[in-house]
Amino acid sequence: MADYRELWKSLDMDLEKHDKLCEVLPEFYEDVYLSQKNRPEGMNYYNFVISEVHGLRIKELDDHKQNGGKVLGTFCVFVPDEIIFSADAIGVGLCGGSDFWVPDGEKVLPRNICPLIKASVGAKISGTCPYFQSADMLVGETTCDGKKKAWEILNDYTPIHVMDLPQMKRENDKKHWKDEIKLFMDKVEELTGNKITEERLNNAIKLINRKRRVLQRLYNTRKADKLPISGKDALLITQIAFYDDLERFIQKTEELCDELERRIEKGVGVFPENTPRILVTGTPMAIPNWKIHHLIETSGGSVVCEETCTGTRYFENTVKENNKTLDEQIDALTDRYLNINCACFTPNEGRIDDIIRLYKEYNADGVIYNTLSFCHTYSVEYKKVKEALDKEGIPVMMIESDYSLQDSGQIKTRLEAFFEMLKERKSAYAK
Amino acid sequence: MQNNTYILFPSHTDGLSLEKLLKEKKIKYTIVPTPRQLSKCCGISIKINPNDKEKVEELLIKNPNIKIEGIYTLEKKTKKFFV
Repeated sequence: MADYRELWKSLDMDLEKHDKLCEVLPEFYEDVYLSQKNRPEGMNYYNFVISEVHGLRIKELDDHKQNGGKVLGTFCVFVPDEIIFSADAIGVGLCGGSDFWVPDGEKVLPRNICPLIKASVGAKISGTCPYFQSADMLVGETTCDGKKKAWEILNDYTPIHVMDLPQMKRENDKKHWKDEIKLFMDKVEELTGNKITEERLNNAIKLINRKRRVLQRLYNTRKADKLPISGKDALLITQIAFYDDLERFIQKTEELCDELERRIEKGVGVFPENTPRILVTGTPMAIPNWKIHHLIETSGGSVVCEETCTGTRYFENTVKENNKTLDEQIDALTDRYLNINCACFTPNEGRIDDIIRLYKEYNADGVIYNTLSFCHTYSVEYKKVKEALDKEGIPVMMIESDYSLQDSGQIKTRLEAFFEMLKERKSAYAK
Repeated sequence: MQNNTYILFPSHTDGLSLEKLLKEKKIKYTIVPTPRQLSKCCGISIKINPNDKEKVEELLIKNPNIKIEGIYTLEKKTKKFFV
């Protein structure tokens, strides 16, 4: 077995503590993922990535750094990857999806903030996330108060650049976001010593668009009557998209899509007929947060789409390609990114439109509104979303939860009742 | 009682080379994180049906360029994390 301990040591990791983390992953992954029946063969690639999550990919980042390249750690779908990659740097999503890191986070943060923030900070200060340890610079944003203040703490460990994301979408907010992208560009150029030219930025725009298109292709297969892939597996792929090698990820995901499209032609599905189809909407799910998807799919439901940052918000809408000047390219980036409908905006009616549209596109039977505990923006926004869905006659259920598995029995009971209701409703309509 | 057979490798590249062969020979396999009972180092192994063990051993003899760290058979048990 490849020994990564020397590499981890060179990244100043807490090897003993990290070993405890490594101890849980194989069994947890086995329970959640490998226990599924009739998984597509192409999922072997993602099994591979997860098995090597703290190994091969970290080695690749290290090789990149040995060759003078830089690594930037990011937390949010608003940070434009195009800028990072156009300066020959690598952007990676950071750890923050496990209960393992929460106690360390709570050492420096109040307990009543969201588990994603506590886990991220905990992952850094405990020295058990090799992605954090590999980052030359972190990139934060102002999508919520908890994160905004957490950056000040993280800055004691790794330099952080914070992008000021406006919270409204008026003309002057667009101008402001454009300025923020330019500032970020200057910062990345300064860090890497590489000039971002029109050509480089255009190439990066095309590359990231290719990643978006393959994810869209994957999600399109989930519109089929017989689902060729579980929601859990699709979620895993989107999560992996945040840090995997881009070209390899795109190639392997195209191959998987070929297999899934063949399954659709042959009518092969992974769930029994009449399994309720669920659209999940709400807060992001960082690896290894597979809780809600796992509970849904072991309680008689199937997830057909995620209107989340680890779902459609990450890849819907591409950036206009082949603009001639840097200024036009930055305009195109501004347009694409400010078009994301995050609950940090007020008002945020676009998100309601997205949920209704996706519900129809993916032929869903119901919506699970999932928010992490203490996420104010998403919890508050539930009221407006629920009102709109009620008006449309779309069934919705709210689940607020953190990373602990203690409430899983309770959530399962609620889900089972919800799915029963959806089934009855469907058969009543069919009559 | 059901068993699983795991093949461990000195490096992931050996694992991927064997994967290619298994695919060609249509032998069912799954890439999995190495079980902790077998190794403390994070990384991949390949899980196969114990009935295919001999076939895979033959393949490995014919392809000595693929290095392995051993083939182990464990009793199949899945720890349940969710109540």
